[in-house]
Amino acid sequence: MTEEKLVVHYIENAVKIVQTRVSSLRKKDVLRTSVRLYDGKTMGVAGSLGECDEKELNTRAKRSLELGIPYPSEATKDLEREEYVQSDLQNSAELLEATEEILERLRIDQPEFSFSHIFRSSKIESQLRNNLGLNLKSSRESVSLSLVIKDKKSSNIIDAMTGYEGRKFQKKRFIELTNMICDAYKNQLEGIEEGEYPVVFMSDDITYYKKLYESLNGMLFATGGSLLSGKTDMKVFSEKVTLLQTRNVMDGFNEPFFDSEGTVNDADRFALIENGVVRSPYTDKKTASTYSLPLTGSAGGEFDGLPELGTPMLKFSESEETIKQLLGGQKGIFVLIASGGDFTQDGHFATPAQLAFLFDGERFIGRLPEISISSHLYDMFGKDFRGVSSNDFLGLENAKLTVMNMKVEKL
Amino acid sequence: MYSFPDNLYSDVRVEDVSKSDIVVSLGRTDNMKEQKYVAAFVRVFDGERWYYSSTTNLDSIQEELDRLASLAKENSNIEENSIVRKFEVNKGSYLSYKEGEDFSLVSLREKFDLLSSYFPLIGKSELVKFWRGQYIDQRVVKSFFSSKGADLTFDYQRVGFRLLYQMVCGEDQFMDRFDLAGNKLDEIRGLHEEVRRTIKTSEDFIRHAKPITPGKYPVVLSPEAAGVFAHESFGHKSEADFMLGDRTMMEEWKIGRKVGSEILSIIDDGNKPGVGHVVFDDEGTKAVETHLIKDGYLSGRLHSAETAAALEEELTGNARAVNFEYEPVVRMTTTFISPGELSFEELLSGIKDGVFVDSLNHGSGMSTFTLAPNRAYLIREGKITEPVKISVVTGSVFQTLNEIEGLTEDFKLLSFSLGGCGKMEQFPLPVGFGGPFVRVRSLNIH
Repeated sequence: MTEEKLVVHYIENAVKIVQTRVSSLRKKDVLRTSVRLYDGKTMGVAGSLGECDEKELNTRAKRSLELGIPYPSEATKDLEREEYVQSDLQNSAELLEATEEILERLRIDQPEFSFSHIFRSSKIESQLRNNLGLNLKSSRESVSLSLVIKDKKSSNIIDAMTGYEGRKFQKKRFIELTNMICDAYKNQLEGIEEGEYPVVFMSDDITYYKKLYESLNGMLFATGGSLLSGKTDMKVFSEKVTLLQTRNVMDGFNEPFFDSEGTVNDADRFALIENGVVRSPYTDKKTASTYSLPLTGSAGGEFDGLPELGTPMLKFSESEETIKQLLGGQKGIFVLIASGGDFTQDGHFATPAQLAFLFDGERFIGRLPEISISSHLYDMFGKDFRGVSSNDFLGLENAKLTVMNMKVEKL
Repeated sequence: MYSFPDNLYSDVRVEDVSKSDIVVSLGRTDNMKEQKYVAAFVRVFDGERWYYSSTTNLDSIQEELDRLASLAKENSNIEENSIVRKFEVNKGSYLSYKEGEDFSLVSLREKFDLLSSYFPLIGKSELVKFWRGQYIDQRVVKSFFSSKGADLTFDYQRVGFRLLYQMVCGEDQFMDRFDLAGNKLDEIRGLHEEVRRTIKTSEDFIRHAKPITPGKYPVVLSPEAAGVFAHESFGHKSEADFMLGDRTMMEEWKIGRKVGSEILSIIDDGNKPGVGHVVFDDEGTKAVETHLIKDGYLSGRLHSAETAAALEEELTGNARAVNFEYEPVVRMTTTFISPGELSFEELLSGIKDGVFVDSLNHGSGMSTFTLAPNRAYLIREGKITEPVKISVVTGSVFQTLNEIEGLTEDFKLLSFSLGGCGKMEQFPLPVGFGGPFVRVRSLNIH
């Protein structure tokens, strides 16, 4: 019988902001523990919040085992790794002081706007170990600054947004970004001619690639329900498209480097699409073995349930070109807020862009009227894909930009 | 009980939670689990700032109260603070569900059998290539104590299931679902005919759906689409925390302003059955029926104690937290458009070329709102005809509210088992929504 224990400890300090003033401070300290018992055919799991009685968890896991829930996979064994990643500003007093400084600056720089939401520092400590020599420990700290921007003269709830997440506290760059957004917002441009334009998204904005999450789901892929079913090893997309499943901290992934089954990939990444060629959907152990697919280490699920196919973080590999080079001297349309659009089942994409800026590769020039952008999955990541910038926007962490040609119309 | 710190307001919310979750994919059980825990959220207020802590260690609640108090500034006038004065002081036990309705006492096996009884219906469709059935339930008994003297116990519960299936027909693919939730287990039993009808509708859809020619169309929204529209386009704008300290918003959202067609009324009410049934909010305030729009005029908004005090309005019982890890913020409960007087046939009559939005994947509501339909149909000469594929329906919120030109008498409140409302960091919060069938003069279809 394999006995496995998962412990996840989440610690967070947060400063909440309303109308450019600190409104509240919050501390979270949440400990989750689970015990799994499995015999190669079935698995039983029991979990607990807070300090736990491991003996009681074992007893409950044995009762869960009697339910006979199939888990025909072997445990990960003989694997040890520890990783500790630190970030700035874990101390709550320092976080508060830094927040006050930023808000003071924004009150001076941008008196026509108000700013609300949250600055947060957090740490996720996770450990997965079993009696077969598995012992994985991950501790990752991160800092997240996120503000909703409201034009004081507007009757909208949200007019713009700013923020970033990473390990470094980049106060100066965050203020520069926020000022750039506000200044561009104030410069309302005339409408642009309808037509095809290079459209720029933050690379991790799921709006433009959520269809790939569905299409690369291992179970949908294997059962014929995905647009990419049957296309393994076929070149479907542009040579420039490489899509990685990642748990690498350098990619801005702040959860542990191992998935919920203890699978660990080389460099904590797995290429699902490589230079336009479909290599594999994302899988957990059950999906991989049931459908004879590569195991990509994408098991998720709740801490006190059986591991199941989760939704991994996906990341496009950077090109060797900067954002300016990708735009090739053209002006791009930088989409900051595109809420509510979607793909049809056959891959057509359309969304309103509630906030978009004309962009020269370095600065936002001004705010465009609300527009509609559209394309098709195979065009966006095929002939119309220009690439992902090699550089981070304004030097902020995890701030690569993706450029695709898309159809732009007035809304 | 707790020793609340002097010269500060403080409260403690303890959540005793029981949950079940069963997941079956293509006949294979992927998960079957129960979860039970007790955890707490602690708040301290000094008149200027709030101090929060969430903890899974119940023994530390007093320690957390004291720690938060040490961060706050003592305020000898705290009882005169307008927010503190607003807080209701409710006492007693208000359990909505009898012991026989407590599904935490029902075995996992019985729940599994209930879910499994629907599986043969999916298996019968030759177009289904992948399916997943999921059952969820959650019962929470909340205890709320405050330094003003609140000592309250109340409960919340929901149960539901979703059958999600991916169909393939030639080159076409289509993902659809049957999803229903309520407050009692009996509400999700015996729905086989409804499930069968939904699967048949999905089969017809994938076999016949064609891309639509983009453009402007008159649109008829189903109760599901109308409910999501009300929630996204107007409900969020009625959450008064967006107005705090914002003169423009307060001026723009003055009660009595005309905001929509005269046949339009939108209501939020935590007393309605369904997943938005919360008789007390997470500040211990009793839920009330709130007319957000009445006959086209702005007539109310949703409040926490903080926003009600700031805007000098009455409490509505809408301060909700997604779970013990978060502070309550202003959220909807069950939000719906009031019914009208037309029959469905009367609503469709007069539409030469239009679109009927039957079911949705999601919606959003900024100045431009969106609805992403899952199933939609053309309307020709007042009749619903062939299915069409649509990426997104968009419109200006205020223009659309004014272009609502018909409502049916037929009306539905809906609750779904999975997903929910997201606001900033708190997602998913179960909410109910609904309405009649609604005709809108013109919307953009893509």
